[in-house]
Amino acid sequence: MRIWITGIGLVTPLGIGADATWTRLVRGERGLVPITHFSTEGYRASVGGEVRGLASASVPQPEAAWSRTAKMAYLAAHEAIRASGIGGDRKRGRVGLVVGGTTGGMLENEELLAGVFADPGRSGELRGLLSHPLWATTDRLHEALGPFARVRTLSSACSSGANALVVAAAWLLAGDLDAVVAGGTDGLCRLTLAGFNALGAADPHPCRPFDVRRRGLNLGEGAGFVVLERSDRARERARTPLAELAGWSLGGEAHHITNPEPTGATAERVMRGALARAGLRAGDIDYVNAHGTATPSNDSVECAAIARAIAPGVAVSSSKGQLGHTLAAAGAIEAAITALVVARQMLVPTAGLEEIDPACASVSHVVVEGRRARVRAAMTNAFGFGGMDTSLVLTEPELGREHSPSHRSVVVTGAATLTRAGLLGTTDSVRAISENESGAIHSLPPLEPMLDLERARRLDRSARVAAIVVGRALEDARGLAPERTGLILGTSFGSIDASAAFMHRILAKGPRFASPAEFPNLVPSSPVGHTSIYLGLRGPVFAAAELAASGECAALQALELIAAGECDAIAAADCQEADGIIERVIAALFAEGGGRAGAMTHGVGGGALVLEAEEGARARGAKVIASVVSAICWRNGDDPPVLPPPRDVVHAQVLSPRGTSGVAAWLATSSWCDVPRVACVGSGGDYEALGAIAIAGAVSRIASGEATEVLVVSLARGRGYAIALSVP
Amino acid sequence: MDESQLRSELKELIVKELNLQGRDPATIDDDALLFGPPPSSTTCLALDSLDALQLAMSVEERFGVRVPEGDEARPIFRSVRTLAAHICSTRADASSRAG
Repeated sequence: MRIWITGIGLVTPLGIGADATWTRLVRGERGLVPITHFSTEGYRASVGGEVRGLASASVPQPEAAWSRTAKMAYLAAHEAIRASGIGGDRKRGRVGLVVGGTTGGMLENEELLAGVFADPGRSGELRGLLSHPLWATTDRLHEALGPFARVRTLSSACSSGANALVVAAAWLLAGDLDAVVAGGTDGLCRLTLAGFNALGAADPHPCRPFDVRRRGLNLGEGAGFVVLERSDRARERARTPLAELAGWSLGGEAHHITNPEPTGATAERVMRGALARAGLRAGDIDYVNAHGTATPSNDSVECAAIARAIAPGVAVSSSKGQLGHTLAAAGAIEAAITALVVARQMLVPTAGLEEIDPACASVSHVVVEGRRARVRAAMTNAFGFGGMDTSLVLTEPELGREHSPSHRSVVVTGAATLTRAGLLGTTDSVRAISENESGAIHSLPPLEPMLDLERARRLDRSARVAAIVVGRALEDARGLAPERTGLILGTSFGSIDASAAFMHRILAKGPRFASPAEFPNLVPSSPVGHTSIYLGLRGPVFAAAELAASGECAALQALELIAAGECDAIAAADCQEADGIIERVIAALFAEGGGRAGAMTHGVGGGALVLEAEEGARARGAKVIASVVSAICWRNGDDPPVLPPPRDVVHAQVLSPRGTSGVAAWLATSSWCDVPRVACVGSGGDYEALGAIAIAGAVSRIASGEATEVLVVSLARGRGYAIALSVP
Repeated sequence: MDESQLRSELKELIVKELNLQGRDPATIDDDALLFGPPPSSTTCLALDSLDALQLAMSVEERFGVRVPEGDEARPIFRSVRTLAAHICSTRADASSRAG
């Protein structure tokens, strides 16, 4: 199978539309201007890449429902879909959607957050916060451009957009989709501008990637989406591709939350991995669109890594001198630009580069303006906070090797939970879901004795819960090499309370008092980054966002990547820390829906499991605890997915972490309808991490012989997940 | 405020702002290196560049004294003693100018 890019959509500081952006990109024009979205008084650096003309671009009504981030995503995804000519029926056409993000609707919510921090009694407009989380953008696209056959939201800070393409590739290789709309989106906001200023990483002047005088990045905003399509389906439609997504690779540095690994070893490993996946040799790469942020540390490390992994002297440029760093959008925007470089046989320059830093001189820089060149294969890099590195290889059609569809079977080799019942491993985690008590909030045992405090000092509470529970699950999996193990963590809302405190400081005291240490903890991928560093995990590392089903989503995401052959072992987890603002938003929502507001006991805790390719687990002599029989997700309005029947109805169980009412109806037509159903109320109450705790509990039931098969079914506000596990 | 009292306050600030949980501020030596080699030596706190930024911001917030950026910051950030001396001398300069 080959994966073709059959459509591209771009919204960038250079223009709305792929052609508008491309024309100015090739001319070396820069979209970096003094930021006007909000007052930049008191910001040391306030030059950025602002998208112009967004107000007059139309989106489906009501207009107010769209955050700036979501609006840019809509425009770019819409353009990509139109350009590709994929049909109108996304579901029957088996078209998926993957969105990478970091700040979501933060711009629209910053003042509200700061206000709520200053006056916790304030209420009324809190619902607006529901446009903030990452999954809200995806939900809006699903409504406006779908319905899609499958949707996913992920975050790995500045590599989010590139990782959206990797997830899409894994879906296509699995064979159940024909095309995937994948990309990233991020709007400028005070939080990121103040944060990068606090880190001393922002240049007050237009930035200069690779230049000896470079002083840091300029933030930018935008969205980039591509349509990735199986080549056989594209051929049936008589479409020629812009380029082929030939190779990809992702890995964690496990080094530092903000600073890149000084050796560039992971960047080099990931570039080599992408080449290997493409079946190409280093010498085949004609051009690299670098991450190239213009920070002193990134550019020299990256150039050296490119020279080692690809070749000294290979043509390199960074689009950030023209667009700024568009954060979660950058990986997708730059992948789209790289595809256009291949399609149009034209290199794009690094604007702002005048005097090449000798430390960046091991590669050949494209300067001033674009130039024609023979480009058969090109690479693009995206590196995120916490050391989440991704490289993609884009080529002319049919240059590299063909990919074989991959459906590896997946097993569970460890599970753990951390709830008020304590820290429990694989055999005991059943207790985490059986203690049907309520009332006690924030009742985890003290975390400090379970951590190496010196190394854990930067971890916030949810990262600490994650580090502990994932560490425990990995301990049970025994002998897994951390450098080859990945980590996917659910994130429902991000750190809302901490973001509110951060924004309050900025608005009350001024941006210069933004906390540099706090800022990296505000991105949704911060807990996963910190945990990967704490545990030394260097496989694929990112966060999956799916409202209250983020834990289930993280497990499914890990399964998909292992099944597709991206990695042999991945820990999947979700951890929920008490967040006062979110609790109030949720309580208000439930009250509005006439739901069980009174029953909302918001708890804290986490659940984790270790998933491995069966072949690999057997080869290393691991004790296999359960096999994954099937794992599916759906949205309201989808036909009920078909589940393989239980082998033994008597010894099977259905666990439902979100109550049994809807589950009974959902299972009515399935062969699981007569299987005993157990409503799973976590010890400590109802909370977002309950799905992950329930899955760990299901593994534990199988491990302890209580059941031979367990189906975990979660229905959470318009979306559903089902994961079936059985004795191996 | 005399310099020794200032040094105690700085140690408390360091423990709180850099989240050195479990560390008793009184056990930080006046002359211990704040930054530098990994924690092989007990006389170095082995802080990193992110800590330096946080410390500079909180020193400015608490004491109203800016720590310069880049190479100039190195001798000031050497130890609690050098940082306290910088704060005192900057304040003395400011008050003599004001006087």
